Amino acid sequence: MGNVQILLRQHVGAPCAPCVEAGADVKKGTLIATPTGLGANIFSSVYGKVTEITDEKIVIEPAAEQPDEFVPIDVPEDASKLDMVKAAGIVGMGGAGFPTGVKLGIDLSAAEMGELDPEINPELPKGFSIDHGYILINAAECEPGLEHNIRQIENQCDKVIRGIKYSMEITKADKAIIAIKKKNQKAIKTLQAALANETDITMHLLPDIYPMGEERAVVRECLGVNLTTLQLPSAARSVVLNLETVTRIAEAIDEKRPCITKNLTVRGKINGGNEAHVFMDVPVGVSVGEMIERAGGIDGKYGEIIMGGAFTGKSTDFDAPITKTTGGIIVTVEFPDLHGANVGILVCACGGSEDRMREIAEKMNGKVVSVARCKQAIENKPGAPLKCLRPGNCPGQVKNNMQFKKDKCEYIIIGNCSDCSNTVMASGPKMGLKVFHQTDHAMRSVGHALYRTLRVSKQVSQDIDF
Amino acid sequence: MSITAETAKAHAHDPAVLCCRAEEGITIEPANLEDPAIFDDLVDSGLLNLDGCLTIEEVLGAKLTKTCDSLCPLTADVLDGVKAVSAPAAEAVEEVVAAPAAPAAPVAAPAVAGGMLKIHIGEGKDIDLQIPVGALGGGAAVAEVPAGAEAAAAGAAAPAAAVGEEKVVGTLTRKHFNITEVKRGPETKIEGTTLYIREGIEADVIADQELVKDFKLEIITPELYHTYSETVMDVQPIATKEGDSELGSGVTRVLDGVVMMLTGVDEGGVQIGEFGSSEGYLDENIMWGRPGCPDKGEIFIKGNIVIQEKTNMERRGPMAAHTAFDIITQEIREVMKKLDESLVVETQELKSIRRPGKKKVVIVKEIMGQGAMHDNFILPVEPVGILGARANVDLGNVPVCVSPLEVLDGCIHALTCIGPASKEMSRHYWREPLVLEALHDEEVDLCGVVFVGSPQINAEKFYVSRRVGHTVAMMDADGAFVTTEGFGNNHIDFASHIEQIGMRGVPTVGMSYCAVQGALVVGNKHMQYMVDNNKSEAGIENEILGNNTLCQEDAIRALAMLKAAMAGEDVKAAEKKWNPNVKSTNVELIEGAYGTKIDLVGNEQELPMSEKRRLKYS
Repeated sequence: MGNVQILLRQHVGAPCAPCVEAGADVKKGTLIATPTGLGANIFSSVYGKVTEITDEKIVIEPAAEQPDEFVPIDVPEDASKLDMVKAAGIVGMGGAGFPTGVKLGIDLSAAEMGELDPEINPELPKGFSIDHGYILINAAECEPGLEHNIRQIENQCDKVIRGIKYSMEITKADKAIIAIKKKNQKAIKTLQAALANETDITMHLLPDIYPMGEERAVVRECLGVNLTTLQLPSAARSVVLNLETVTRIAEAIDEKRPCITKNLTVRGKINGGNEAHVFMDVPVGVSVGEMIERAGGIDGKYGEIIMGGAFTGKSTDFDAPITKTTGGIIVTVEFPDLHGANVGILVCACGGSEDRMREIAEKMNGKVVSVARCKQAIENKPGAPLKCLRPGNCPGQVKNNMQFKKDKCEYIIIGNCSDCSNTVMASGPKMGLKVFHQTDHAMRSVGHALYRTLRVSKQVSQDIDF
Repeated sequence: MSITAETAKAHAHDPAVLCCRAEEGITIEPANLEDPAIFDDLVDSGLLNLDGCLTIEEVLGAKLTKTCDSLCPLTADVLDGVKAVSAPAAEAVEEVVAAPAAPAAPVAAPAVAGGMLKIHIGEGKDIDLQIPVGALGGGAAVAEVPAGAEAAAAGAAAPAAAVGEEKVVGTLTRKHFNITEVKRGPETKIEGTTLYIREGIEADVIADQELVKDFKLEIITPELYHTYSETVMDVQPIATKEGDSELGSGVTRVLDGVVMMLTGVDEGGVQIGEFGSSEGYLDENIMWGRPGCPDKGEIFIKGNIVIQEKTNMERRGPMAAHTAFDIITQEIREVMKKLDESLVVETQELKSIRRPGKKKVVIVKEIMGQGAMHDNFILPVEPVGILGARANVDLGNVPVCVSPLEVLDGCIHALTCIGPASKEMSRHYWREPLVLEALHDEEVDLCGVVFVGSPQINAEKFYVSRRVGHTVAMMDADGAFVTTEGFGNNHIDFASHIEQIGMRGVPTVGMSYCAVQGALVVGNKHMQYMVDNNKSEAGIENEILGNNTLCQEDAIRALAMLKAAMAGEDVKAAEKKWNPNVKSTNVELIEGAYGTKIDLVGNEQELPMSEKRRLKYS
């Protein structure tokens, strides 16, 4: 095991401040950094010695022996469940990294319905409100190719349900809904059996399109309410939690276990094939390179390594460490070479940022001559990540294609969701634009269909009819 | 791009096309529909076929019976619950159009000509419509009513308010003297119908202004129309006030059959003009009969002036040329004052009439004020004189309110030397068609005319346009016209004037040469009512003097359009590209409704082809 690098910022908010010195011996679960503002505690994920502390990270040289025991979180006997979640340093593990202890600090039984925007909720009657407080479990595992969430439901269903109940208790939610794609039949059957006597916890089945795991998409699918880009799920009297996050909550409460490991999927151009390699409880701070080796190593030449999912992830390198929010490592096939051809990029909230899209265009040897942004991609404040006004429901794209055509693009690279990609395809090729999707190289690498024309319905029946 | 409920309402009668894939069973909402603004391009490029496509109004709320992909035109066979078109009894069935410049981003938005009249024809029963006599203009018979009592036609903007008494607020008498011959002689005098101009007067002209380096006077009779000339700077009526009459009132004496024509270059031979010049054979470069131009058969007292080198683009050069040339006109004016009444061949009385109770309208005329030759002298003592006038540029281009009769009495001495085809020369104001039409139109109450300059700098443009907005607002006008000359830079203030007036709730018709070359460079949402002054075949500035200036046919369309706008009726948006048929369709519809014939003026095609035109414009 190589050195472990634990980043001081693995969450939304400010970097944590180290509370250990270089040279200190640490154990699994030793508190090594604490929040300076919005943030979450950071613990050592291994036994070993701190060798270096920088502004960004704490480097630990792991000991040869790594027992399973860990240092439990330091909370008083009578600590509340919420205090335990806070102490354990749990953050949103689906990728967003919002401190869970902060998110759960809400009383959903008393939460008031937010004001709904009638423009995006044309079907809701005036004065519509939701009668219950909801914990919504995001088990969509929406980034194509990742499997660790679903695998966890199949194998650790009890822990999942315990975590859900704790979350309901902490927030005084009287209902919980697990949002899961209908294609995950085994996991659904497992949940169905486990929920047989749970009247307040139900499932909502999702279609297999992207994006379904976007927080506001989960709210819309489960509760039928469209939130604006500025509204939080609390406006729909709900809290959305990622599946893995829920299990970390259960661990923090049942075992006093700090948040020191991460479940993830390694996949792509790996020796032995492109099947998913699911790793549970990988110590935070382990390098990408080490995880790729554990999966079998890279099979020959490759294009890039993506940390996270194909849509929202970023390119990374072997030395980069796993964090509390790392869900995937995808080794991709090589990029096509566009030989300097004119390229337009269509930036949207569902895919990469403009920088990420430009990086892909550059890796494809294309010359970016035109940049368009999906009409629904809203920048809440300058520089903030884009948010989609109606995730998964296209606002039309032909105007962007007209711009690309006018700007003499030969190729376009799009980062859109399933529905928008479909719309781009309805006019792009007819206009003579050759369409690439930002995820093409990753999709080829994991054996997933490319995002082009949509061939499945956005609606699925809620019957467990399989 | 998907549209909002508001856009859907505005485009209720436009085709309904899915912006995105939509699944069977959904209810059609605005968010499902593509913006009709881009359909022209899509149809042009073959991406869209709108045959059988239902309108937005018809499909909203209907249920889709089949999953359809993006850009699918919605037709009856894929929908359940298509709504009936809104055509209740006595409601609009047919709408005539005008075409404004689309409220455009800062890209070229072609503007199209148009006039507007809305005809209501319905199939209801027992419709009892009372149409004020004259609602259709001039007290003429109401447009034909189809046989039977089951249909009726109503005119545009039939005013509901009680009609007050007409009030004559001013009169101007024009006494016409006929001139059939212009000769040189020892003194300037008029004998019978012969005008003599003093020999040697050229020296006085040259001596008058330091910048005037040479001057030559020519008498151009019809036989001499095929004479080469430098660019025509101005065409002016020869008129003078009688006694103590002030400009715009009392009596004005005017010579018929003869005009003053100023032409010129600088010492280096550079034409005094910008954006083209009209030098060449006179008969190949003048659009006869335009309000600002000579009429065929008239004699030109043509002064060709040479000013100091390089002062052609400075303000003082053209000013000196005009001032010096007025020496001759003034000498003729002095003679005219003494003419015997017996020589008057025609007396014409122009009345400024207010019509309380009728829709109050104001005409805002944007005039050049950028300096150099782009200036105008405002309110001289004599018609189109120099003395007493203030230069528009010196006044800071701010709005100046004048009475309609002051306009017609030559209150503008135009130094304008922008594109020859669209510039309004001094004579244009003397015969300003929009002022005349509005003054004579019994359905409107013309309260006045506002001249506003077009300054050079954008900050100044917006300074003056805000003044215009406030000026019109405090007049409590129901509607406004904004006219401009030239194209390009001045369209910035033109658009801003319309915006400043429009945002104060006053519907505004814009009139400009636009067509192809003069396509608007800016736009805003208040530019909904646009009339194009273009007459040229190709929609271009082809350096034919006066070709694309405001004529009676444009004034008629603009009035019809403003009446519709004031009545709150929609005017159809402009087509994507300039289409001369829009104008002719509008003309036909106005003719049909008013029962009159609108004589359309000709264009450069009637003139002998000049070498320049052949080389540059064909």
